Amino acid sequence: MGTAEIGQGAIILAFLAAIVSVVVAGIGAYTSSRRLISITRISVISIAAFYSLALATAVFAFLTRDYSLRIVSAHVDSNLPASYALSALYADKAGSMLLWGWLISLFSALIAFRKHEYDNSILPHMLCILAAIQVFFLAMVTFVGNVFEQNPTPVTEGIGLNPWLQNIAMLVHPPVLYISFAAVSVVFAMIIASLITRTPDDQWVRWVRRWTLFGWCTLGIGNLIGMWWSYNELGWGGYWAWDPVENAGLMPWFLITAFIHSISVQRQRNRLRRWSLVLAIFTFEFTLLIPFITHGGIESPLHGFIHSYFPPYILAAILITLAGSLGLLYIRRKDLQRDERSFSLVSREGAFLATNIILVLLTVVVLIGTVLPRIVELFSGTRIAIDRSFYDRVAGPIMLVLVFFMGVCPLLGWAKTSWKSAKSSFLFSLLAALLVAVVVLIVGGGKWYVISAIVCCFPFFVILLEWFRGARARHQGRKENYFRASLALLDSNRPKYGGFLVHIGIILIALGIVVSSFYSVEKVSTLDIGQSMKVGDYDLTYDELLLKQDNVKISTIATISMSKQGRLIGEVYPENNYWFYYSPILNETFREVAVRTTPAEDVFVYLWWTSFDQQDKSATIIAMVNPLVVWIWAGGGFLLLGGAIAFSHQDKRESQHKDRR
Amino acid sequence: MRKRYFIGGGILAVAVGLLVYASLGSAVSYYLTVSELLDKGSELYGERVRVAGKVANNSIEWDADTLELGFVITEGGEDLLVVYEGARPSGLKEDSNVLVEGEYRSDNTFQASTIILKCPSKYEPEE
Repeated sequence: MGTAEIGQGAIILAFLAAIVSVVVAGIGAYTSSRRLISITRISVISIAAFYSLALATAVFAFLTRDYSLRIVSAHVDSNLPASYALSALYADKAGSMLLWGWLISLFSALIAFRKHEYDNSILPHMLCILAAIQVFFLAMVTFVGNVFEQNPTPVTEGIGLNPWLQNIAMLVHPPVLYISFAAVSVVFAMIIASLITRTPDDQWVRWVRRWTLFGWCTLGIGNLIGMWWSYNELGWGGYWAWDPVENAGLMPWFLITAFIHSISVQRQRNRLRRWSLVLAIFTFEFTLLIPFITHGGIESPLHGFIHSYFPPYILAAILITLAGSLGLLYIRRKDLQRDERSFSLVSREGAFLATNIILVLLTVVVLIGTVLPRIVELFSGTRIAIDRSFYDRVAGPIMLVLVFFMGVCPLLGWAKTSWKSAKSSFLFSLLAALLVAVVVLIVGGGKWYVISAIVCCFPFFVILLEWFRGARARHQGRKENYFRASLALLDSNRPKYGGFLVHIGIILIALGIVVSSFYSVEKVSTLDIGQSMKVGDYDLTYDELLLKQDNVKISTIATISMSKQGRLIGEVYPENNYWFYYSPILNETFREVAVRTTPAEDVFVYLWWTSFDQQDKSATIIAMVNPLVVWIWAGGGFLLLGGAIAFSHQDKRESQHKDRR
Repeated sequence: MRKRYFIGGGILAVAVGLLVYASLGSAVSYYLTVSELLDKGSELYGERVRVAGKVANNSIEWDADTLELGFVITEGGEDLLVVYEGARPSGLKEDSNVLVEGEYRSDNTFQASTIILKCPSKYEPEE
C-alpha cells in the first residue's frame, strides 16, 4: 500500500468517524444517555487519531519527497531543506485545510478527554457541533480538493517552494493562525451548546475564558509574524499594506479582543451577556472569512499565493452557521433578556462597553474597505479600488483613541464610581504624558512624535501608577520590597496584570506603527562599484558585487558599507536572486533584504536591481531608515507574555461565582 | 437608562460613519483596463485610476541614473504610455501583465505612482 492509499484511507475513516460522532452526539444530546455520550467521546477521539495518521502520512510524503503525490511534486523539490518541506504542506490549498481541520480534531479530542469539566448535558452538544465542523473540513479535503491526489504520470522532480515562502516566519505564521482559528471554533461550539442547553452564563464564561485567551493570543502573534515576514521578506519597506488578506486576519482579532473584555464584564458584573454571545458568533464567522479571502474569494494583489475552489463552500458555511446561530439567539431571546440590568457609563464596565463598540466599528470600517470593491463590482459592473489612505485616515485615528482609552479603563472601578476617585491618577498621568511630549518637542521630534507621545504615554503611566500603588500597599502591609511586591501582585491577579502587560505591548506597537508610518525615509539610487548614497544620517557605499550560482538560483550579493556621521558602523549584504524555476513564471527576482536594527531605527537596504552579468556591476539600491519598527516586534513579546500570564490563571470551579450572585 | 447607551453608541457610529464617508471619496479609484480608460477619455483627466494591461514589445525605456521609466501598456488593441519615477520593478518585461496606479493626464499619458506586477495565472503548476 502506498502513501496515497494510507492517507486517503485515514481521511475517509476520519470522515466516517466525524459523521458517526455527529449522529451519536446528536442523539446522545437529545436523550442524555450516558452510554451514547461515552460512544461519542470515543468516536471524537478516533477522528483525531485518523486525522493525525493522515497528517503524518502527508508529512512523511513531503519528507521523503514522494513525487507520486500532486501536493508533494507541486510544492517541494530535492533542493529544499527539510524544514521547509513542512511548510510546503500549508502552502497548498488543500494541505492548509487539512492542517486546520486536524487542529480542530485535536482540540475536540481534548474536550472529550476532559469530560469531568463539563456537564453531561452539555458535553454531547459541544462535541456534536465540533464534529459537524470537522465533517465540513473533511469533506473539503476529500471531495473538493484532494490532499492525496496522485499524479497521473510519474514525476521525477518537484517544482519547489515559492522562494517568498522559504522563510522561517512562513514556517510558523500559518500554523499559529490555524491554532487560533481552531480555538475560536471551540469557543463557538461551547457558546452554541450553552445556548441550546440554557447553561448558566457563569459556567460557559468559565469554560470559554482560557480558550478565548489562547485563540486571541495566537491570532495576535500570528498576525505579527505575518507582518514581520512581509517586512523582511517581501521587502517593500513596510509591514502592513491593508491588503484584503491582512485585513482578514485583523478583523477577527478586533472582535475577539472585544469579546475578552465583554466576558470580563460578565465575570465581574454579570452584564453584557447578549453582546458577548453575538461577538463570539461573529468572531467565528470572521475566522472563516479568512480562508475565503486567502483562497481567492477576494482579489488580493499582494498575496495571490493560493487560488482554490474552496471559496463558494466556505461562503456557504459562513451563511449557514451565521443564520443558525442568530436564529438560535432569537429563539432564546426571552432567557437572554432576564436579569439584563443596566449600569452606569462612568464605571469600568461602561468603559469596556465603549471600547467594545469602538472595536466593532473598527471591524466594520475594515470590512467595508475590504469588500466594498467586490460588492460594487457585483451590482454595478464598475470595478473600483480603495487605496490605503482610506484605512489610514479612518482606522488610524480610531485606533489612537482606543490606545488612549486603555488608560481610562484602569482608572474606573467596577460598578458605580465617580470621577473623583480617579481624578488624581488621571491628572498625574496626563501631566506626565504632556511632559514627555514637551521634552520630545524640545529634542526636535515632529508633530506625530508629539501626538504619539501623549497618546501612548498616558495609558502607560496609568498602568505604571496602578502597579506602583498596588506594590506600595503590599510593601507597607507585608514589608515586601518593591520588586517582589510587584511580582507578587502580578501573581495574585494574573488576569488583571497579564492584561496590563498586554496593554503595554499594544502601546509599544502603536508607537512603532505611528512613528514608522510618518518618519520613514526612503532613497533610491543606481550605483556603480565605489559610489555612495545618503539616506537619513547614513552613508552607504557600494563596495562589491558577488555572483554565485547553485542548483536553484543565481545570486547577486552586494557588499555595502554603512557609516554614520563619517564613522564606519558595519557592512550589510543584501541579495538579489534569480530563481531558475520561479523567476520566469512569477516574473520576479527574489531579494533578501539586509536590515540593521537598533532600538531607535532600522536601516533597510534592498538590492533592487542587478543585471546578473559579470561585466555590468551597476545596481539599483533602495535604502530606508524606518524608525521604531523594532518596538512593534517587542510589543509582540509583551502580548505573548501577558497573554500567557492571563491564561495561566484558572478559575476555581464554582467557588467565587456563587458568592457574587 | 437604556436609552443612554443607544445614544452614546449612536453618536460613536455616526462619527465613524462620517469619517468613512469623508475619506472614501478620495480613496476610491476606478479600476479599468486600457481600452476602458481610453473610452472614457477626457472625463478621467486628473483622476486617480488603476489601469491593467500588458507591457508592449520594445516599449520599455529605463534610465538607471535619473530613475526614469517609461513603457507602453496595451489591452484591447489600445495603447497607453506610462511614465514612472523610481526604481524599475525587476519583473517588468515585455508581455508581462501589470497594474499601474496613478493619474491620467491631459496629454494622454499616465503618470504612475505604483506599478504592481500581476502574477501570471500560471503560477499554479500546469497539471
